[in-house]
Amino acid sequence: MEREALDVDVLIVGGGPAGLSAALTLASLQQSRGGEPLAIAVLEKAREAGAHELSGAVLDPRALAELIPDYKAAGAPIEADVHEDRVYVLDAGGKLALPLIPPPLRNHGNHIVSLNRLARWMATRVEEAGIDLFTGFAGVEVLWDGTRVAGVRTGDRGIDKEGRPKATFEAGVDIRAKVTIFCDGVRGNLTKQLLAKLPLADGREPQQYAIGIKELWEVPADRIAAGTVMHTLGYPLRMEEFGGAFVYAMPEGRISLGLVVGLDYRDPMFDPYAAFQRLKEHPLIADLLAGGQRVKYGAKALPESGWNSIPQTWMDGGLIAGDAAAFLNSFRLKGIHLAMKTGMLAAETAFEAVRAGDTSGTALRAYQDRIDRSWVREELYPVRNVHQAFNHGLLAGLTFSALTVATGGRIPVRLHGEPGHEMMKTRAEYYGSTRGPIAASNAVKADRVRTFDKVTSVHFSGTRHDEDQPVHLLVQTDVCYSRCGEEYGHPCQRFCPANVYEMLTNADGTKRLQINASNCVHCKTCDIMDPYQVITWVPPEGGGGPQYDGL
Amino acid sequence: MVLVIAEQRNGTLNRASWEAIAAGQQLAAGSPVTVAVAGAGSEQAAKELAAADVAGVIAVTGAQVEHYTADGWVAAHAAVVASVAPQWVVLPHTYQTRDFAPALAVKLDRALVTDCTGIKTVDGKPAFTRPMYQGKLAADVRPLGEAPWLVTFQIGAFRGDQAKRGASPANTRMDATVEAAAIRQVPEEPFQEARQAVDLSEAERIVAVGRGIKGPEHLPLAQALAEALHAEVAASRPICDSGWLPMERQIGSSGQTVAPKLYVAVGISGAIQHVVGMKGARTIVAINKDAEAPIFEVADYGYVGDLFEFLPALTAELKK
Amino acid sequence: MVQTLSPMKIAVCIKQVPTREWQPRLADDGRSIREQDASWELNEPDAYALEEALRLREAHGGEVVVCTAGPARAAMVLREALARGADRAIHIEDAALGHADAMAVGAVLAEACGGEAFDLILTGLQSDDQGYAQTGVVLAARLGLPHATIIMDVKIDGGRLRVKRELEGGWFQWVGMPLPAVLTIQSGINQLRYATLKGIMAAKKKEIRKAAPSAPVTPRVEILSLYVPQKSKRTEIVSGGPAEAAAALVKKLREDARVI
Repeated sequence: MEREALDVDVLIVGGGPAGLSAALTLASLQQSRGGEPLAIAVLEKAREAGAHELSGAVLDPRALAELIPDYKAAGAPIEADVHEDRVYVLDAGGKLALPLIPPPLRNHGNHIVSLNRLARWMATRVEEAGIDLFTGFAGVEVLWDGTRVAGVRTGDRGIDKEGRPKATFEAGVDIRAKVTIFCDGVRGNLTKQLLAKLPLADGREPQQYAIGIKELWEVPADRIAAGTVMHTLGYPLRMEEFGGAFVYAMPEGRISLGLVVGLDYRDPMFDPYAAFQRLKEHPLIADLLAGGQRVKYGAKALPESGWNSIPQTWMDGGLIAGDAAAFLNSFRLKGIHLAMKTGMLAAETAFEAVRAGDTSGTALRAYQDRIDRSWVREELYPVRNVHQAFNHGLLAGLTFSALTVATGGRIPVRLHGEPGHEMMKTRAEYYGSTRGPIAASNAVKADRVRTFDKVTSVHFSGTRHDEDQPVHLLVQTDVCYSRCGEEYGHPCQRFCPANVYEMLTNADGTKRLQINASNCVHCKTCDIMDPYQVITWVPPEGGGGPQYDGL
Repeated sequence: MVLVIAEQRNGTLNRASWEAIAAGQQLAAGSPVTVAVAGAGSEQAAKELAAADVAGVIAVTGAQVEHYTADGWVAAHAAVVASVAPQWVVLPHTYQTRDFAPALAVKLDRALVTDCTGIKTVDGKPAFTRPMYQGKLAADVRPLGEAPWLVTFQIGAFRGDQAKRGASPANTRMDATVEAAAIRQVPEEPFQEARQAVDLSEAERIVAVGRGIKGPEHLPLAQALAEALHAEVAASRPICDSGWLPMERQIGSSGQTVAPKLYVAVGISGAIQHVVGMKGARTIVAINKDAEAPIFEVADYGYVGDLFEFLPALTAELKK
Repeated sequence: MVQTLSPMKIAVCIKQVPTREWQPRLADDGRSIREQDASWELNEPDAYALEEALRLREAHGGEVVVCTAGPARAAMVLREALARGADRAIHIEDAALGHADAMAVGAVLAEACGGEAFDLILTGLQSDDQGYAQTGVVLAARLGLPHATIIMDVKIDGGRLRVKRELEGGWFQWVGMPLPAVLTIQSGINQLRYATLKGIMAAKKKEIRKAAPSAPVTPRVEILSLYVPQKSKRTEIVSGGPAEAAAALVKKLREDARVI
């Protein structure tokens, strides 16, 4: 097929904090160093920058301050400065406030932000700098010259449900670049291709993830002071589940509320979304939300496994930054500043390499050196084992965390982790039986005031996809119809927070897997958590997906 | 006083005109209402108005207004307004009205508020309710400037059968003195086209089925009800996803949005994605075995129980 | 019908509106929407009007000029239109235009478009935000041009238009009129093309001329209040067994609701 081609010097895939920071850094380097201008392009699959960005979020401003020293004066959307941290341990009926805030959860000097708003703001600065930000374009395939990353191909647009071109068909474009910086986010579909083709993950701990489910609420303005940050442990999660909840209070009664659950739980019947609804019924949260209104809903996976799981991030023609490479500090529950910083370092590296005329892996290895010399390593290395410690249980994790704090991470050990999807037990293993009911996809009891069913929540995520396109969730369904029901009870129905997967019964009693692809919020949980690893998420047609306004 | 500009075809007033008359009467609040109707057949249509409680009926005739054109209607009705000097000009929000009313307003240099669903009194003066943002919000608005103010009312917002009856109004004929050369549109004969796609937005009554119907083999129950009601059959998303009904019959955020006079939701839970597509219906009937189903929040009438028993009973009752 | 090949200068008036997924948030004044966090897009019927203009230019040659009357943020729809292939743009910028009524906006657009001799002016039949369905016709009237609305097909021959109007109930009508003229376009008249990468890049170099209304924007409609419509419904549940309930329901539908 005839495809359009575009040649650039640096291609950035992903318009989140990592990608946008990379773009702004390139613009700034161009300006300060002068010389032949670089041809730069940024690809973002969402209809507009920020639409697919979701995070708590409490931002450590150190990267932002380096990137844009006068960020406050420049109008960066800071919701509030953190002025109070609270940590609670919850049980079904009550709460215990910790008298001391554990060091990693102390947020003095940090800001409460909406990542959606922050990304939108950064994107306007990228456009003001004259850099092409192509929204509505999804990168679907890495282009290779042998083992060298040559660029990225964008997805075809205008293909119908049956895979046939429509009258509006536009073939995807081959964008060839001297350096491609992959900022395609948690479980990025392109980074996945890099990891499959090159031995980038050799010797690393396996990637581990969590799912974050978040809502934006508006409550009476005097309910909780802006700048209050709350984190919880315990209810609705059990000792065997990793995670906790967060509440970040912003001005005018806006509250970011969410639950993070490790995608390594054992109970095949567990439903993270259902746990989030239970959280909202706990008195601490229920009292907070009383009389309020839910404004937005969203979900996204997080890369939790830390420093020892980060793959090799440099290769011939390519670099990986941000969540795609697992640059997230799960101990401090923060990743935005690391995404930004690694985006900046990748851009510096790419700039020098292009100017020097050498974009081989040997030259791009300088990225790793920059990371090692920067506060990225300084921050991530000491906490490199913490998440893996939690694999051994809550107590082990907390103990190890305390040790980490006490010793500054100087514990000469490397703890190993297992991929989370391998931790799920079968029904026989967990329940001792393969009989018994299987919780369906949307079986959440909802009061429609504080708690909602999945389908209603998808409506509040603003998700829109063109209906007439191929299903973008590729599933090898043999196991669905053979083993999965008995072994795990079709957990896709429960770990997907958007009611995409439903096992329905036909009139003749046979089962049918229905994929409601247009509900997909692009969280990547299914790609991560399916115990057989038979689900592959690929980008739907560019422009489709959630619209996380204000989230 | 209020001037209602009515619409007729082949000598019969359309139902929307009766609705506009009802609205005009409410707006007039006792002051006189005059109705004007133009086109070939207008004198015939004017006779229909003999039973209405209006002060006068003007049949606008003339060679240049035999058939509808925007230019012709603007010129002719501007003359009627000049002659009648009303405070308000009321029209039904039909396709034809949309074609000429704004131009009439510009010619008169007066304000026009369109697609109103109700009349309120705010600070002693009339204000109009109209939908905004595709029905997500409603607005109370008021036209500014001098009288006459022009208002169009949404089809179905008022009930034509509630137009008050009264003694015979004064019938007059007015010749539209419009220059032929001033009419730039050259209309051809209207025609009907074979429908390529199902257009549920035109249906006055709809019977929609949801998951509660359990299987395509039960669809005949719903179809029988639809026939008895002279209604179209539609469906919520899951039914179309399962292939039990074609996609064109889907109501909801990923299907069609409808506002029929009657919407019967059979075995539909009322998830918001469906409700946004039908909450504008005038009368909603919900049939569902779950008393907690959200559909009951938007329904005017409901039956909580087994649809497999209720549908045949309802169909039978309608046939009596 | 002989296809005229003389190039046409076509204007398309477009509007930026909140996206379909936008959850209504009201501003504190109770008369307008809260714009913060809203996502915006090109009004869908206007997108079809733009596509129609691009196709006419492809058939006849000429120029497509897009025009919007709105606040600064509305420039985004102009850029999108340029990326899809429009040649240049006019932005009449004034904060008041963001929530002005159709009569006011139509006057402003007429002033901007009147300055250039357009052969054809297209716009969507109505906007998805205020939905007055007036602006295109107001524009025509103020420019003294013939017009037709809710158009499903456009044919041009020898300096004249022949267009297909959509009527109620599945009826249609062809109408002829001379050029220049104004048409309001129905959604679904064609299939919208995507903006290509090259198109987006080229758009950056295309002209967006800023203009300001020569007189202050004169509102003709006042919004007294804007609110979320409350259904003051109380659902009447019909009780009894199926036959009994059916009888009761039919009676209510006949006599109370009068829908059958």
